[in-house]
Amino acid sequence: MALEDFEAMQERCSNCLGCKWTPFDKIKSQRFGENCPSVCYYNFNTYSARGRFQLGLAIAKKEVEYTETVTEAVHECLACGLCDVSCKITRFNLEPLEHNLELKADAVKKGKTLPAQKPVLEALAKEKTMLVGKTKASRTKWADGLGLKDLSKEKGDVLFFPGCKFSYDEKLQKTAQSAVRILKKSGVDLGYMGSQDMCCAGRTLQMGFTEDFAKNAEANIALFKKAGVKTIVTPCSDCYHAFKRQYAKLGLEVEVLHTVEYLDRLIGQGKIKFTKSVPMNVTYHDPCHLGRLGEQYVPWNGTEKKILNQVHTWTPKRPRYNGAHGIYDAPRNVIKSIPGVNLTEMERIREYSWCCGAGGGCSDTSPEFSDWTASERITEANSTGAEAMVTACPWCESNFRKAVDENGKGINVLDIVELVEKAL
Amino acid sequence: MAFSNEMYQAFEAVVGKRNIARDLGIRETYRCAAAQSSAHYGPYNHRTPMPEAVLLPGSTEEVKNIVRLCNKYDVKFKASSTFWSAMGFITDDNGVQLDMRRMRSIEIDEKNMIAIVEPYAIGAVVQAEAMKVGLTLNVPGVGCSSSPLASTAGWVGFGPTSISMGCASENMLGAEWVLPNGEVLRTGSLGAGSGWFCGEGPGPSTRAILRGFQGSTGSLGVCTKMAIRLHPWPGPTHIPSRGVVPAYKADLPDNFKAYTLCFKTWDDYAKGLSLLHEAEILFLGHRQFNMFGRDIKTAMLKILTDPDGQLAEIPEYTADPELKKINDDMKIEIQVIIAGVTRRDTDYKEKVLDTVLEMSGGWKNQFMLEKDMMDYVLLYLIRLGHKNLNYALCGAYEGNYGLSGNMFVSAKVMEEAAALKRKWELEHTHIAAHGGDSDMGSISIIGGGGPTGWEYFTNFDAHDKASIKGTADFFNETQRWMTEKGLGVDMGHWNQDLRREDGYGFTQEQHDEMYVKLPQPLVTVYQYKVREIINPKHLCGSYYRTLTPSKYKG
Repeated sequence: MALEDFEAMQERCSNCLGCKWTPFDKIKSQRFGENCPSVCYYNFNTYSARGRFQLGLAIAKKEVEYTETVTEAVHECLACGLCDVSCKITRFNLEPLEHNLELKADAVKKGKTLPAQKPVLEALAKEKTMLVGKTKASRTKWADGLGLKDLSKEKGDVLFFPGCKFSYDEKLQKTAQSAVRILKKSGVDLGYMGSQDMCCAGRTLQMGFTEDFAKNAEANIALFKKAGVKTIVTPCSDCYHAFKRQYAKLGLEVEVLHTVEYLDRLIGQGKIKFTKSVPMNVTYHDPCHLGRLGEQYVPWNGTEKKILNQVHTWTPKRPRYNGAHGIYDAPRNVIKSIPGVNLTEMERIREYSWCCGAGGGCSDTSPEFSDWTASERITEANSTGAEAMVTACPWCESNFRKAVDENGKGINVLDIVELVEKAL
Repeated sequence: MAFSNEMYQAFEAVVGKRNIARDLGIRETYRCAAAQSSAHYGPYNHRTPMPEAVLLPGSTEEVKNIVRLCNKYDVKFKASSTFWSAMGFITDDNGVQLDMRRMRSIEIDEKNMIAIVEPYAIGAVVQAEAMKVGLTLNVPGVGCSSSPLASTAGWVGFGPTSISMGCASENMLGAEWVLPNGEVLRTGSLGAGSGWFCGEGPGPSTRAILRGFQGSTGSLGVCTKMAIRLHPWPGPTHIPSRGVVPAYKADLPDNFKAYTLCFKTWDDYAKGLSLLHEAEILFLGHRQFNMFGRDIKTAMLKILTDPDGQLAEIPEYTADPELKKINDDMKIEIQVIIAGVTRRDTDYKEKVLDTVLEMSGGWKNQFMLEKDMMDYVLLYLIRLGHKNLNYALCGAYEGNYGLSGNMFVSAKVMEEAAALKRKWELEHTHIAAHGGDSDMGSISIIGGGGPTGWEYFTNFDAHDKASIKGTADFFNETQRWMTEKGLGVDMGHWNQDLRREDGYGFTQEQHDEMYVKLPQPLVTVYQYKVREIINPKHLCGSYYRTLTPSKYKG
């Protein structure tokens, strides 16, 4: 697809601006009623999905050029997809997130990138990670002593894929190690990619670098195939989305599970038994790429067909990604099964959860915007009175760890695996 | 005078660097595309003029200073909050666009049952805040994504709950109004330093001037704050809901009931509704789902209440004999909600409703009594959060036909209007073919129960130039029929009177030519005089309908 291919969609957007708001049915207060961090922070309509449709149309028609302001506006989208959910409450033929990403891709194609993107892409090319300053040589140190099968050397069914954040961040490494220990103890025969382990590159797609994504994804798919992988388990929501939705488009045919799904399954089967009570009030943050963007890719090859003269449909029926089938219950089941833990929900949850601010590469390119987005979520979390915010994504966790709420107060942030471990 | 750097800097000094933009890309996103937005000025294929700059004021003081600069430099201006409608966009070159989204405060005065709101406090959030203290508001018919302030100050402002709460003109209390010359006027009781509680005295009784005869559409300055009347909400502190996106359903207690009332004939319908108007038992009355079209409304309800539903399933559903029966049963129908304050009150309202149905030969549709369906309807209509389904079929629509009079008048011509639209659907392919009658609208927005036949949804494809043009042709055909019948101006044309086909505002000469033909042209003569006093430099666009007094031939 190219930006020009979105013309029908750009012209069919009806300017209702539902894309700026939490699904209206779910609004409980003004304070937490909005949904798009980008337009909330920058305020101009341009930053909303509607504005991006209009901007995209003008760029495609060469009525507007990529100035510095336009380039920044294009890239300062967290690719969190909440506009997509809100839009599709009432529309069946628009794909705001897909368009936002295509607009970024168009900018990248035309060389209109942001300075902070360059080192990230260089790190990916050279060190196979999107974390600047980290080296390939130290990528798998987290796995030392865990007894994982090395799938770069032998075949194995189940691949544990930690992703860059869990591989390098010292605090997060411990969580990845715990996850492996819990899964292994429950009888899962896990492997890792050993010296061939590298970034999933899902974030390149969120940043508009489609060629870099395809290159890395194809390389990973070849390695997974060679290793005979049938199931990928990952504790990282970004990796999860990349494999389940984006790699699947490129031909990856394996079962993709987030660690929380596996934990939920094992708890349900009685293979994980809790022995301790964890008296704690927590709230849960749904990561965008596990929740509303965690739906399975379904192959589709069809065309638009008008019925009743002018009503747009597709033939055959087209899969609809609107967050209806994201992963929301598994993490909640796990949390609720832990003795002593009390879960209090925030106002914006599940498919309409507010983003952590780390998406779209914005934590690298626009740290102030990214931090503000995280701060908004901490404010919401603290309004529940919870002692800790539990999540299931290392990008969310990292962004929240350094943020404080509107009153300068932080919150204890835990990965769901840490909470499980406390109860074992 | 061309828009200079000096002017830009002067505006920037008012709002700050972060809150002003001049980049072409930013400005482009502040143009209204007529066909895209169906923003109620016609199925046209153009955009509104490009603003010279976009400003995000954060206070009344800033708005005042912006307006004063506009006067100093002869720069036109227009304020909008949600940009839903074409009326919020500038109408001429050399204009600046004010985006009011930074002004969003809500203050709920529980004791006096009022909400003091700024422009970007949309209906959904005002309702959410009001419900916390057992109150709610009349969400305008356009839906909860719109601004109650803008709807009240700028347009007609009726909605599904108007039957119990009145319309905007009745709910408007004190207001803070930046006049087109930059002076700040505080209206009603606010002007006398007595608080926000009253739209008239003590203080300047300028409600009729601020609103004009159907809302001044932002043509008379900027309303920056307003008090609106709230009404009792006999429900929980928020609307609990369940279900998978997008098929959410309300989980309200059983003092809330949603019914679809059906009638054999339009005469029975008018009789039933007038009795309900007199009985004063309804919380809400609105013909909603018929907007999808007489032939497909049940299919659409099936699709919308299924999280995986898609428009591609319409033919499958319409071919289902069982659904067809339900659809036929619902040929002439309306949705109503009762909300009892006590069990006894609920029982009483149910009893009266049943009696009215008995007296008018009406019945409750059984399909709409299923729990999930009733809960879907309750959430849809109370929050009014799915109004953008207006666009679901084709991406664009415009209101066609439209009578605001007594329902006994409109009921007589409903089938004829439906037949005209059906004929066009079958003989042309430019508008969606969904059954002729696609009337939607609230009841009892004026005394006596009107209107019925408010708005026939005409859905078209904004990406298809032939569809846009064909829709405009259909509206011309409707107008010919309405003129022949003595029914006045078609809604599509009434909306098109606001802005020229090229996206610019009308000249005074063009206004004169149009409004001298009105049945009551003196209304527009009066508005001309008001405008000349309040807005002599004509800086806020030409939406305010005016007729030069010398042209009046009364």
